[in-house]
Amino acid sequence: MRKWRYDSPNDVERTPLERLRQFPREPDMLVYGLRSLGALIIRALLRVYHRFEIIGHENLRTNRSFVIVANHCSHLDTLCLLAALPLRKLHRAFPAAASDYFFQSVSRLWIAAVVVNALPFARQVRVRQSLSLCQDMLGNPGTILIIFPEGTRSTTGEIREFKSGIGALVAGRDVAVVPCFIDGSFRAWPKGRRLPRPGKVRLIVGSPRTFRDRGADKIDICAISAELREAVNELRHENGRH
Amino acid sequence: MFRTYWSWLVIAGVGLLVVFAGRIPTIVGVTLLGIYAFKEFARASGLYRDWWLTGAVYAGIVTVGIASVMSHPRGEEPGTGWYGFFAAAPVFAIALILLIPILRNRARGELQRMSLAIVGFIYIGWMFGHLGFLANAVNAYGFLCYIIFATALSDVSAFTFGKIFGRHPLRSEISPNKTWEGALGALAISMILPWLLRFSFPFFGARQLILTGLIVGIGGQLGDLSISVIKRDIGTKDMAATIPGHGGILDRIDSLIYAAPLFMHMAGYYYPLR
Repeated sequence: MRKWRYDSPNDVERTPLERLRQFPREPDMLVYGLRSLGALIIRALLRVYHRFEIIGHENLRTNRSFVIVANHCSHLDTLCLLAALPLRKLHRAFPAAASDYFFQSVSRLWIAAVVVNALPFARQVRVRQSLSLCQDMLGNPGTILIIFPEGTRSTTGEIREFKSGIGALVAGRDVAVVPCFIDGSFRAWPKGRRLPRPGKVRLIVGSPRTFRDRGADKIDICAISAELREAVNELRHENGRH
Repeated sequence: MFRTYWSWLVIAGVGLLVVFAGRIPTIVGVTLLGIYAFKEFARASGLYRDWWLTGAVYAGIVTVGIASVMSHPRGEEPGTGWYGFFAAAPVFAIALILLIPILRNRARGELQRMSLAIVGFIYIGWMFGHLGFLANAVNAYGFLCYIIFATALSDVSAFTFGKIFGRHPLRSEISPNKTWEGALGALAISMILPWLLRFSFPFFGARQLILTGLIVGIGGQLGDLSISVIKRDIGTKDMAATIPGHGGILDRIDSLIYAAPLFMHMAGYYYPLR
């Protein structure tokens, strides 16, 4: 008789808290269910409370792995981008979240791991390691990475400089990058406010592009980051009410 | 060590609260515990990657819980708890489990997964479900408190006797830390306990008290060893790390899984449960 192979996950002997903290996470029926339910509630709230609207939705329709790049001034940004994805792709969509902010306290950790499905990104130390984690994830088919290259929420509503990491992630690789601009989230829920106030929020999705034929040297990487920032800025001026 | 102790206190507190909240909370609690214990088993054995079969077993465990709560629809058997459906639950659960590969048109590796699902349902869902059905007995509080306390005490005394006197390994290929001395010590304690706590079942005669002692003293340890066989074959130390200092839920309820159904059927043989 051939030996049975038990295909147990590597986190069997970890505590529930350690399992939340680890990445990549093992699929879990309860977590998937809660995440889908949470997504439905968030979508309904965005629709009603923020009169959420998506422009250029067709640019997100692909089954390949891609990276979403957007401006960042509010916690609403992540929720808006997730709300633009079909429900069945939710569990393969990973917003990169600061591990020093989202992966410390238990309540934030729970929201980041269960509701948002965040990828812990170390933005101060070991940035390179986090980037290679992102690259590994993009290697799996159908992965969606959500990255805010400004590195933090903008306190003025203006788009800050994009960090070079996003350039390093996509330079020379056959990965589509979709620039997005989120309009109105700064007024609705700026940094430092406890709860959002009602106000229209729009998501403008730009056309995808790749940086396959670009080198991975420092100059190109910085140029890619600047180009992407310019692309997001353009979306703002074409459609924004600034 | 302290974590183990604190966890014991928390388990005892929550357990007492649920048991004394009444019949339905007890059955619901046992069902939820069974679902979680099965999840641990399914994760450790890799069955969890098949959400269809896992879902079928969840449905089976919930069915066992429902059969324990509801009464016979045509009232042929008096009292609460539909014993006939409860006893027949494995038929329906196994029928559902066998149906899943057919519905999904799959054969490769299905025998292993179906076997794991059936073992998981019978062992954790149905056998452990007897603890919930026991809540339907007239003497439910006495039975439940005794069987839960006695299996826990048997575990602790096996550990203690083994630590102090342990020389000869009980089953070296299965669980290297268990010893004959620990097992016999636990059996001795379990044989004395029914007489000390006779007020839990005042109508028991000497024969029933001896049987109770044997079921808890031997059955409890067999339950412990049977889960060790599973863990040993899979290659993990604990089924999970849910309870600090104890391992998984399944590592905690293993003795109950074996002892509770035997105890229920022994008591049901001599006295009507209702």
